[in-house]
Amino acid sequence: MSFETLSQTVIKGDMQAAAELTRKALDDGADAQQILDQGLIAAMDVVGRKFAEGAMFVPQMLRSAKTMQQCVEVLKPHFQGAGMTTKGTIILGTVKGDLHDIGKNLVAMMLEGAGFRIVDLGVDVSPAAFVEAVAKENGQIVGMSALLSTTMPAMAETITALTTAGHRETVKIMIGGAPVTADYATSVGADCYAPDAGSAVTEAKRLLDV
Amino acid sequence: MKKPPKIKKKKRPLRTPPATGAKKSLWLNVLPDDLWIRVKYGVTIYEALRKTTLDLDTECNGLGTCGKCKIKVITPIGPPDRQEQRLLSSEELDQGIRLACRTPIRKDLVVFSDTQRDPTELFQILKHGQTQDIALDPLLDRIPVLVPPPDLQTAASDFHRLRSVLGASRDNLKITHGCLSTLYADLRATEFRGEALLHRECMLAWSPVGSPNGRYGVIFDIGTTTLVGKLIDLDQGVEKGVISRLNAQTRFGSNIISRIQYLRDTKNGLRRLRRLLLNDLNAILRRLARAGGIEPHHIFVAVAAGNTTMQHLLLGLDPSGIAEAPFAPVITEGVTFPTQKVGLELHPDAMLYVMPAKSGYIGGDLISFILASGAADQETELVLGLDLGTNGEIFLGNGRRLLTCSAAAGPALEGARIQHGMIAKSGAIESVRGLEGELRYNVIGNIKPKGLCGSGLVDLAAVLLHHGVLDAEGVLGHHGRDTEFELLPARLAPRPRSEVMDFVVATPEESFDGRTIKLLQNDIRELQLAKGAVAAAVQLLMDEMGVTVDRIDRVCMAGALGNYVNPLSAMRIGMLPFLDPAKIVSMGNAAATGATLALISKAQWQRANAIADLADHVELSLHPGFYEAFIAAMDFPDRNVW
Repeated sequence: MSFETLSQTVIKGDMQAAAELTRKALDDGADAQQILDQGLIAAMDVVGRKFAEGAMFVPQMLRSAKTMQQCVEVLKPHFQGAGMTTKGTIILGTVKGDLHDIGKNLVAMMLEGAGFRIVDLGVDVSPAAFVEAVAKENGQIVGMSALLSTTMPAMAETITALTTAGHRETVKIMIGGAPVTADYATSVGADCYAPDAGSAVTEAKRLLDV
Repeated sequence: MKKPPKIKKKKRPLRTPPATGAKKSLWLNVLPDDLWIRVKYGVTIYEALRKTTLDLDTECNGLGTCGKCKIKVITPIGPPDRQEQRLLSSEELDQGIRLACRTPIRKDLVVFSDTQRDPTELFQILKHGQTQDIALDPLLDRIPVLVPPPDLQTAASDFHRLRSVLGASRDNLKITHGCLSTLYADLRATEFRGEALLHRECMLAWSPVGSPNGRYGVIFDIGTTTLVGKLIDLDQGVEKGVISRLNAQTRFGSNIISRIQYLRDTKNGLRRLRRLLLNDLNAILRRLARAGGIEPHHIFVAVAAGNTTMQHLLLGLDPSGIAEAPFAPVITEGVTFPTQKVGLELHPDAMLYVMPAKSGYIGGDLISFILASGAADQETELVLGLDLGTNGEIFLGNGRRLLTCSAAAGPALEGARIQHGMIAKSGAIESVRGLEGELRYNVIGNIKPKGLCGSGLVDLAAVLLHHGVLDAEGVLGHHGRDTEFELLPARLAPRPRSEVMDFVVATPEESFDGRTIKLLQNDIRELQLAKGAVAAAVQLLMDEMGVTVDRIDRVCMAGALGNYVNPLSAMRIGMLPFLDPAKIVSMGNAAATGATLALISKAQWQRANAIADLADHVELSLHPGFYEAFIAAMDFPDRNVW
């Protein structure tokens, strides 16, 4: 069964039509997990790629993400047993002293669209709060955002805190934000740098090998 | 593509803020250090340069006989005159060398001069602001006095007799030690007739009648990028001189966050930044004094306005708190200190006023802007003010209620983060129009273009939207709204193996240095973020105030972009809400104007403090509606304004 039309509808962000198509696919006997993987997540892959090269922008990406969420709501009752499988758990937050929300939210939305489970700690998140969330939520990736060059050092502090707490071996670290660079990521001992929400998905998949 | 047609001066509204009243004046841009000089039509380059720090060689003092004042004229101009043909070699003429004293300025010119000069001094674009009519009552009082000579009956002291002739209201008059220490000789040298210079309840000096002591005050607009000083005649309330220069701190970062990072990471960083600032301001002071024919020690009062961080640096206060949440500065109140304590080289007893601020990101410059706009002087009109530069500061309201906020307008509007973006200087495309299907643009200095500055970028996006080359979602492509315009789509350049297109603004033949000037798809995205932030901030202030756009009576624009952007283009791209363009006023350098008002009127200084108390600061990053409003404002309006 092909989910090409559904994918295109999600990319366009037509919520009603996409939900309709999802229902139809279920009626036609398609498997919910298959619709999710081949229809919805595949569509969000395209959206992420288009976003990274500038062919799509924030409002359109959000529209697609919301469309996908609608479709997921339709699918939810149809998952067998354990429910949806996720690609892994990612702890996200904007670091201490920094209140910038939007970029981090876009990353959360795209990662969610790609099939990850997201624990969003919000903004002004202390190193201790990151450490606590990793332990409690069994996070596999910690994603940190900073939009001010003066708050970037909090990324290093958080990584130190994770190391001290003994989590550094089990958790991967991804960082991003306007003043952040790949070199900076290397210098503070992060595992990778993601320049935008689309790349965050690619990098997260690479880090967890999924 | 043909060269843009010559445009008559009055058709160039972008370079001439309508409110400044500057008529028939042109720009002379002197390379290599990018000195900008506002000149009257028809004066010679020599006359224009004589008012600057540039020292052209000359022996004949402008008669056109010595042939020394050679200068290279880059803008194409008419043929050399007889004197030039006689005094210059044919090689020199071929290179564009002219005699400055023989070359009248009849259009904006770019020239090149390699004489010695102070490399950082430059005349900036935003020197003149609007001024209002207000009653003169300067921060410094100069009172003519005839002091009774000493007499044996009362044996009253010099100071006592002086105080008693100043009247009962001055019973509590104090005096500085410096003034007192020369009072004996000063009074007698002037035969007891002179002027008492008073600051509040304190006498600063005794001055002979007609001396320049205390006649002038200065104001400083201490911007992150540019420092402007003005010499103000306190007797007439008029501007006698303006000097500006690049802030030497820019070598430690172009924005305040990077400055703060520098001072946190560097030993004595705060002291160094402060020292650089004081060196700049003292150099401006010396030049201003020279322009006014006085000495710096004749000046007794100064007012400074800047963003909160720059005001902190001037006073030697650590601004680190501003760089991260919760963004708390050391002080926001308007303050007064002896200039000697601050490190400004005026009269030893002179006083410095620093404008009140509201918060870490609503500085004395915005309070000055509000003061200059007159918005808080009344309660009937609703005034929207936008100070657009690197950061956008916005206010909305009047004397009853006043809201302020700061929006990270983003570097896009000053040309940073745009592939071929640049600041508004020689070679920048400053305005763009679509005419008969082709692109027409004005370039600063009338040369071939090197890149786009903020106003040019906003114009270009508006033109592309209008002609269907750019769609409401911000995608460059063939959206084919207007089939009669076929040449603009021809400038779309597809990227290999991608659906993304860029727009060729100037081909190698059309550009200054043989490069293709492109507007990239990603540049459009940067613009969308910047204009979206401004539009969302305006929207949230209107929501907070509980009004819609049709309730706004006046829009005041300030800042590098605010003054030069074409309001219609700004509306077309959705940076400004759609409203009657007649409501929009350019304020020029509004921070300097506000500081000047405070300098020449005690009531205006009081008002500035009242404005800071009245204003409410809306923190956008905490505002629940900002996220939605910002994203909603990123798309372009699907509506033409032409």
